[in-house]
Amino acid sequence: MRSLFTLEPSGSIVASTAESFIWWGWIGDHLDDIWQRTVEHLVLTAIAIVVGFVISALLAALAIRLRWTYGPITIIGSLLYTIPSLALFALLIPITGLGLVTAEIALVSYTILILVRNIVSGMDGVPPEVREAADAMGYRPGRRLLRVELPLALPAIIAGLRIATVTVIGLVTVTALIGNGGYGAFINDGLSRDFSTPIVVGTVLSVVLAVLADLAFAMLERLLTPWNRGSSSGRGVS
Amino acid sequence: MPASSESIAIRLNAVSKTFPGAAAPAVTALDLEIPEGNIVALVGPSGCGKTTTLKMINRLIEPTSGSIEVLGQPQEAVPAYELRRRIGYVIQQVGLFPHQTIRRNVGTVPELLGWDRAEIDQRVEELVELVGLDAATLDRYPPELSGGQRQRVGVARALAADPPILLMDEPYSAVDPVVRERLQDELLDLQSKVGKTIVLVTHDIDEAIRLADRTAILDVGGILRQYDTSENLLRHPASPFVASFLGRERGLRRLALRTVNDIVPMRGPALSSTDGIELAVSIMADHATSWVAIVDADRLIGWVDAKSIAAASNGTLLGALPIEPFVSRVAPQTPLREALDTILTSSSRIACIVDDHDHFVGMITIDQLAEGLE
Repeated sequence: MRSLFTLEPSGSIVASTAESFIWWGWIGDHLDDIWQRTVEHLVLTAIAIVVGFVISALLAALAIRLRWTYGPITIIGSLLYTIPSLALFALLIPITGLGLVTAEIALVSYTILILVRNIVSGMDGVPPEVREAADAMGYRPGRRLLRVELPLALPAIIAGLRIATVTVIGLVTVTALIGNGGYGAFINDGLSRDFSTPIVVGTVLSVVLAVLADLAFAMLERLLTPWNRGSSSGRGVS
Repeated sequence: MPASSESIAIRLNAVSKTFPGAAAPAVTALDLEIPEGNIVALVGPSGCGKTTTLKMINRLIEPTSGSIEVLGQPQEAVPAYELRRRIGYVIQQVGLFPHQTIRRNVGTVPELLGWDRAEIDQRVEELVELVGLDAATLDRYPPELSGGQRQRVGVARALAADPPILLMDEPYSAVDPVVRERLQDELLDLQSKVGKTIVLVTHDIDEAIRLADRTAILDVGGILRQYDTSENLLRHPASPFVASFLGRERGLRRLALRTVNDIVPMRGPALSSTDGIELAVSIMADHATSWVAIVDADRLIGWVDAKSIAAASNGTLLGALPIEPFVSRVAPQTPLREALDTILTSSSRIACIVDDHDHFVGMITIDQLAEGLE
């Protein structure tokens, strides 16, 4: 780091990069790339979260209807969660090849456990007397789900989405190994050239993106659950 | 059994319920007729199927056998959700929707029925007033309200679409006794305005006696032991089970059913301030009291002590002596049980009856209470 800030008598900045950790000039030259990688990173994340959420919602619905399925679903979710991503790629590449599908299968599989668990626990957290009152008022099941159960399960569901999104944003960097862009592409580039600047840029941006996504979900929750804002109502669900 | 002249709001014909996996039925061949406009209480020990019976009326629980008629129609005549929109429902835990404002909560059924926004708003405001809630609570959320306020919201929500029937499952057991009593009074007051058919489940026999026109006493397994007015239950319990369920204080509980209005008071040791002390001495002797009440133009002014009278010279008028305020007072609408308490805590065992316009009605003693029960 130091060398970056010391004035070299004659040499250009390039001369100092061998020992410099980050070269700011590279960043200025690659703003277009950074933007493109950001978009790629976001798209890869969004696909994984949307697909993961749809699958998880279906699995959670099954687990709620048929309680005995919850155990097996959780076990499978846990297995998927524990498989190292590189091992999963190795398994999938012969089947789905290099590219988006393989990457997304891996990413989606990491979201299932978190999302299913949070959806189920959110729905379980709806107080039984509230559900009974809804039936007794004459709600039909579909409307009861939309108007009563889902809003009450929302804090837990959003908590699941927050964790899943932050996890996926970190994992997307790995999918660059099988040719899927995102910030991981900077890291690969840096590793192959023994050049630290893109590695630092890729890592820092990935962390920043994760933090921003987390904040965005926190704001979304606040926006969607106005009844939980008062300090008197401590219905914290996680 | 109800008189034939009353029309029946809810009729249970040989209704039984056995829950899956249960060895014994929760409700056994129950016949029950609930007259329109009555408050009927279902009471009994735990396991007597009273809540199950209540929930079968709005089909939250489906009977295993037997049939239920609601307002002259078999309950299966309409889909369950439609039936439920015509039957108000209040439960112990209230079950307000925590994510909706009080306004939305109260407007639930009208909204389900598709009323337009303006109609719903108007109805919600009427109801909030009817149940004695502050309009300022309308835009709050349920967790911000006290237990008693939430219970009132629950009642308002149940009444929102003006259903002819109201089902209440232990509505007051989660609030403290002071609030409970007030809410019970409010229910009676409300009932005098709305005249619903109310079915109330409670484990508290005093609540049943206080609120219900008729009470069904159920035994374990949902077996009906007696169904009658509170007065008849207390006077003529049909079996030792009913008698033991009603408890040892049946006589006192009967007192709670009547008010001071139901008995004939006496005039008692009451004179006017223009009477002389000689009259006071003789009236005190007649009533064996050590005081006389001063009543001028039907108003109870207070009382004069025998000692002041004895110390006064002949010919003194009572109005010239020191007059103390009268503490042992009851109103015509005071329940006799409460009046008994007032009598017992007064040193002379007499209470004065003073009506809402501050007019002196008379005095009562324990003897008159006992006569009033006959």
